[in-house]
Amino acid sequence: MRKQILLVLSLILVLSVLLAACGGSNDAANNDAANNDMANNDAANNDTGAEPDMDEEVTLNVWSFTNEIMTMAVAFEERYPNVDVVYTMIPMTDGEYQTKLKASIGTDDVPDVVALEAAFVKEWVEADFLANLNDLLPYTEELQTYPAVVEVGTHDGVAKGFSYQSTPGGFFYRRSIAEECLGTQDPAAVQEMVKDLDAFIETAATIKECSDGDYYMVGTSGAMLNPFLANRSQPWIVDDTLVIDPQVEEFVDFAKLFRDEGYESQAEQWSEGWFAGMNDSLVDANGTPKKIFSYFLPTWGLPYVLIPNSGDTGGDWALINGPLPYQWGGTWVGAMADSPNLDWAKEFVKFVALDEENLTNWATGVYTNEYLKAIDPETPDDQAQAPGDFVSSAVVVEKITDQFDGSELYEWLGGQNNYKAFGDAAPKVNGALLTGSDDAIQRALQSQLEQYLLGEIDKAEMWNLWLEQVRNEFPELIIPDAPGS
Amino acid sequence: MKLINRKKYYGYLFIAPFIIGFLLFGLYPVYNTLALSFTNTTLMVREGSFVGLDNFKRLFADNFFMKAVGNTWLIWLMNFVPQIGIAMLLSVWFTSQRLRLKGVGVWRALFFLPNLLMPAAIAGLFFSLFSYYGPINQFVVRAGFLEEAMHFLQNVPVTRGLVVFIQWWMWFGQTIIILMAGMTSIPIPLYEAAMVDGASGWQMFRRITLPLLKPILVYIFVTSLVGGMQLFDIPYLLTDGRGSPQSSILTNNILMYSKFASSKGHIGAASSVGVLVFIMTTICALSIFYFLRDKDASKERKEAKKRQALLRKVRRDENA
Repeated sequence: MRKQILLVLSLILVLSVLLAACGGSNDAANNDAANNDMANNDAANNDTGAEPDMDEEVTLNVWSFTNEIMTMAVAFEERYPNVDVVYTMIPMTDGEYQTKLKASIGTDDVPDVVALEAAFVKEWVEADFLANLNDLLPYTEELQTYPAVVEVGTHDGVAKGFSYQSTPGGFFYRRSIAEECLGTQDPAAVQEMVKDLDAFIETAATIKECSDGDYYMVGTSGAMLNPFLANRSQPWIVDDTLVIDPQVEEFVDFAKLFRDEGYESQAEQWSEGWFAGMNDSLVDANGTPKKIFSYFLPTWGLPYVLIPNSGDTGGDWALINGPLPYQWGGTWVGAMADSPNLDWAKEFVKFVALDEENLTNWATGVYTNEYLKAIDPETPDDQAQAPGDFVSSAVVVEKITDQFDGSELYEWLGGQNNYKAFGDAAPKVNGALLTGSDDAIQRALQSQLEQYLLGEIDKAEMWNLWLEQVRNEFPELIIPDAPGS
Repeated sequence: MKLINRKKYYGYLFIAPFIIGFLLFGLYPVYNTLALSFTNTTLMVREGSFVGLDNFKRLFADNFFMKAVGNTWLIWLMNFVPQIGIAMLLSVWFTSQRLRLKGVGVWRALFFLPNLLMPAAIAGLFFSLFSYYGPINQFVVRAGFLEEAMHFLQNVPVTRGLVVFIQWWMWFGQTIIILMAGMTSIPIPLYEAAMVDGASGWQMFRRITLPLLKPILVYIFVTSLVGGMQLFDIPYLLTDGRGSPQSSILTNNILMYSKFASSKGHIGAASSVGVLVFIMTTICALSIFYFLRDKDASKERKEAKKRQALLRKVRRDENA
């Protein structure tokens, strides 16, 4: 009997301790939540006390369409060893990423953090699935994040995504051709010769004459679409209505002029001929070698596109702003509102896009493969971040610009600091023109434009075919009459 | 009696896994597609509302749908007719008792090879070959066939022709294999007898091979039709994924996909395309069955039924 009573008593004891422990931890959690709330409010006063609980073991699901952010995910684990970042890469070549992401909404598979490319970031920022990140806004002031970067990630006053990059566009040209045809290779002087569209067209004519048509001003007039669109007064879609800005019509006329006059090589963007022009291996069907004078590419175009394809033309390139300021591409990062670890998801976004140390490391090549392997031995062998990506914070840019003097990139540009050149262009970028439907609308336009340039259809047909295609893909859009009808 | 019943029951048990799998992964999606096609559901807004026939009305209001149907039929017919023709000719040669060709297995394997390649790789290959600065242009200009390079993939007949050619090239090997399997199952004594009677090669083909090959032909017809109506990968990857130039290679499935992959993911509208394609394919497949049915056999079956009915009637009369 005594034994049984003892057993019951000890059971009760164990239970009560357990219950107390649970109650205690619940209280602690509640307190933490309260603290966090307060901290979040404080954050508005620029207090950095919003750090989530460091002892909590958390798994954070991060989805992206490249392996770029994986580097930062590993660095994040270094700072917060209690967090296990599960990184999932889904390609977006044919929209697989977007489809998979849309399909995950409302299910248990929904990720905590998502990467969003410029082509579709607005679609998500305008929808209701991303968490409100307004408490991170003070950090953008601290780091002087370029306004366009914040603007793209904001809808109706609610910030939903930030980017670690700013992607102003540049105009890369060949120094040897400038010397030969324009009489100077000096960036300031060449900028003067392409400072606006009229000057640009004149220079294109000069280059054609000087080479008997063997040098082309640009690979394709399609490269000018981004600069033209960046200077519209309105985005593609306003109040559910498609807007055909005068700049669009001007672009069409410009492209026609370049095609008819032979100022462009007719090699479409991303086609073999377009890449061949970067290393002087472009040969027309008769076997005549052709050269391309310039490429319109943004910040990321330099390390990812131009340099890898430039062959032995390194050192013969220069970078200026070109006729029109523009931006092209970029990756934003947001937290899903349904995330079970929202605090940590926000912390991740903050680390990736709004953390001075991380951005500095990112841009200056600190994240080598050895560095990442030391944190996580399972890091793939080719995972690393080379120096040179242009970051979104003016503060960081200013601090590190001088480090690029004398670097490999500096030599490649014939003694020019790319960071400085882009640093001048970044604040001029307008982020208000991006909408979620840009990509589809523009791709449809370029298909029909090519037909018009070849003379297969006339201009009126081009507008109609394009509008038909837009109507097909955006059933709820109000479509205006074709220009000129 | 009981034993027989139990055996029947086992039969159902053995086919149950397939039936369950089919209901789950075959019939339910069809039903779900049909249900979705009457709603305005998008991926971004899960709970769509019922909109009746609006999706279908829209399809016929835009001229994209009819264009896509026209393109799909055109591309299928232009590829299917030469495909079955050439496959038939080669199969007859390969199985001919008179010719007795050597290395038939090697040829058959070679013709089948394109089918093993990835469509994405093939589309990429042809895109590069026919690009403005590509090898085909270099060849035709230097050989003097053309004055200057042309944008092949911006030309409607050329682009369509390429899709047709690729489809033909990828699939005629497969058709040869099926046809040869059918032809080798025809008893050789029939041909020997015909040869003794002095029949020509054409007569043997017309009177022996074709009639006995009918079930195989129906199979090839129907599978090719279903595949052709769902043509997607090559035309999608060859140009811009929108059927350019001028929507000339826009097929049913590209249209469906473009609706699905549009900004919000209009799965309701995409389903309506799927439903119409399904109806169209079903009608065509059933008519193929009807026109190519074995007329003698069905006549015989009917007569047998009549005979049995008559027999039963006679017996009943006798009993009465």
